[in-house]
Amino acid sequence: MSSQSFVLMEEQIDQINAIILRMIKKAEAKCALLVDKDGHLITRQGFTQSLDTTALSALLAGSFASTKEIARLVGEPEFSVLFHQGHKDHIHISLVGERCILAIVFDDRTTIGMVRLYAKETSDKLKELLTRAQADNNNAPELDPQFAESAGSKIDDVFKD
Amino acid sequence: MVTINYAFREISCKIVYYGPGLSGKTTNLQYVHERVPAKSRGDLISLATEADRTLYFDFLPISVGDIAGFATKFQLYTVPGQVFYNATRKLVLRGVDGIVFVADSQRSKMDENVESLTNMYENLKENGIDINDMPIVIQYNKRDLPDVVPIEELERELNPHQYPYTEAVAVKGSGVFDTLKRITKIVLEHTKKKTSVGSPAGQTGGSEDEPVGVTGGASLSSTPVSGIPTETSSPATAPKPDSGPVPRMRPVPPPEQPAAQPQPTEHATPVQSPVDTAMEAPAASTPSSPPPPSSQPSTSARAIYAPQRSLRVRSRKHRSLFSRLFGWLFGR
Repeated sequence: MSSQSFVLMEEQIDQINAIILRMIKKAEAKCALLVDKDGHLITRQGFTQSLDTTALSALLAGSFASTKEIARLVGEPEFSVLFHQGHKDHIHISLVGERCILAIVFDDRTTIGMVRLYAKETSDKLKELLTRAQADNNNAPELDPQFAESAGSKIDDVFKD
Repeated sequence: MVTINYAFREISCKIVYYGPGLSGKTTNLQYVHERVPAKSRGDLISLATEADRTLYFDFLPISVGDIAGFATKFQLYTVPGQVFYNATRKLVLRGVDGIVFVADSQRSKMDENVESLTNMYENLKENGIDINDMPIVIQYNKRDLPDVVPIEELERELNPHQYPYTEAVAVKGSGVFDTLKRITKIVLEHTKKKTSVGSPAGQTGGSEDEPVGVTGGASLSSTPVSGIPTETSSPATAPKPDSGPVPRMRPVPPPEQPAAQPQPTEHATPVQSPVDTAMEAPAASTPSSPPPPSSQPSTSARAIYAPQRSLRVRSRKHRSLFSRLFGWLFGR
């Protein structure tokens, strides 16, 4: 499974975005990120302009992965929810299916209970959607035949002393 | 595992620098971070100990720009090289698309190189990754030091699989980009091979689901802005108290004599208890004005009804006071 590419089409991303946005509205959160367990950002919604979402995604995945190992050491298969409390902003991280993580950033305008409630509901919906997306992966369009060739010259441009 | 996001037209690959402790993995990333143009890279994040040894990983995102219609990004990670951090090394290897094994060329470090390489194969296996299907480049680092092992010997000891290799002096930057170019090209070639399934569509939008306008990137930045501000003003804030408090406000019965209110001037006709009519006016006018609360959103209903109740209580109290006063006056 780990070697399998994960392809998401625009239609699927739109559906994911709609589900997440609805959750943000209901829970009155600031923003939410859907990240895969390897640290790649899948999508984001809400006020994310001030956030370095790429780095945040990698760190969230790292945090979740290490927590999973902690869980294993204490005899739990996985901790499905993580919560980091800050002065103003807090992060609620929950598992979505087998391979994704939903991180919700919120402040004191709402409560952890509200966020937790809607995160659970959203996780279930996203899980279903991502499972379908995974099944549809074989229908994904092929990359441009010239992709690797054009990558070569581009890489030479960027990576030079 | 390469993530291809057709909505945002993005391809994201994870490359991990693996190797024994102090072999120069973090130094590789630091040099890349220094030299790559600022617009192509993100911040270098190091989760390190007080002594600057990698504790969890270093992370450097790099964007090489648009390749065949896809914004291509590489996420460079290092692992902690020290033996006792194996658990975290294994975690960082999850979902890896390409590996640079940074070997220390010094003779005294050969055992550590072999141990680390064996450990890498084990961890890949435990993560369900086939080493024969994984792009790997070996970097022989520290080639400027005096007691280095010749390349032929290193190849014999460390590279029986004949992976491509490079020579480097990471602290001076020599060979760092050479290594990075090699691994990125191999990873993309590998990605291309792995995605060669289904009907060819090209990047011009030939497929059914593929975005025709190729505006995924634009929508990425615009959706967060347009999404939320509207929501704060939307009625989403009032889901739960809908039916709770309203019935409690409603028991306020309609005024006892609604007919009495049109004549506030009836002071002159004391026949029919002027006190009641005078005091009835404010009390009667307020509750009669709002429509039935059931037709209103709960928040506004609450806002309207809460002050009414307090008004009403006050008016009843006053009414009894005034009626006693007038009773006492007229009675005399």
